[in-house]
Amino acid sequence: MKQVEEKEEPSVYQRVVLKNASPYHYLKVRLVLEDESTRLNAVELKYFIITGLKSLYGEVGAALNFDVLKYDEDTLTALLRVYSRSLVKLWSSLTLLGSYQNKACAFRVLQVSPFLLALTGNSRDLQLD
Amino acid sequence: MVRLKSRYLLCEVNVSDRSQLLLLDDRAIMVAVKAAVARTHGDYGAAMCSIRFCVKYLNAHTGIVFLRFPKRCYKLLWSALPFITSIETRGQKIPCFLNCLHVGGTIRTCQKFLIRYNTQQLHRMLPKCKSEEEKQQVRTAILSCSLTESKEAFEEDSESEEEEEEEE
Repeated sequence: MKQVEEKEEPSVYQRVVLKNASPYHYLKVRLVLEDESTRLNAVELKYFIITGLKSLYGEVGAALNFDVLKYDEDTLTALLRVYSRSLVKLWSSLTLLGSYQNKACAFRVLQVSPFLLALTGNSRDLQLD
Repeated sequence: MVRLKSRYLLCEVNVSDRSQLLLLDDRAIMVAVKAAVARTHGDYGAAMCSIRFCVKYLNAHTGIVFLRFPKRCYKLLWSALPFITSIETRGQKIPCFLNCLHVGGTIRTCQKFLIRYNTQQLHRMLPKCKSEEEKQQVRTAILSCSLTESKEAFEEDSESEEEEEEEE
């Protein structure tokens, strides 16, 4: 939504809706494990997500292209990039991925946006004092 | 008005060794298709396959099989059929592949297509026919083929086609 204000005339609001604006969608996800001490590196994380896709969507799903752009090993937070058409498949397989090496785990999806810049600001972490 | 619509896929099972065709049964083909769909499309595909999927008709002599899929997901399940490389029956693995000839909305349209297809095949093979007796048999088989006696007509038609092919 974009606001266009003129000084002399009363405020004019202009709403811009962008459909299929970006070919990619970006997801910020965090992996929460039952056992706090296990560590994964980026390659293991990607392989783990691919096994999730494979169990839900088969070989075709496991062939979906997605990238791990950034990964923080200490907090297990990753920034994933996926083509917009495959977003639903990736997100649903992250939701249904329940166990890592026979231990319970969960993916928390923190932010999703078609624009990478939008992931910098998070209104959930906003401190209003 | 409110009707459950399905798509019927007319497929031909191609095997290298014709005698192995006779071992096929519909349970084996159903298992093979479900396994291929589960491998290719995962849990999502296996779930779609479990509703209203069945093998409606199987002719072991010619290897014609009718598969029924629900209308909303038949394309996805159709895309898994080329990944079938073998069918397992009675402890034997038969290497084969499924070739889809026609997609119809009802069994009737598929039957009509099959009759036309069989006659076309026979017209291609008749010139190569060796004996007059064969030709006579084939002609009577085609003439007796009608929709009312559907299955028997198929088998008759297909069996004579089968004999003719063996003659070659």
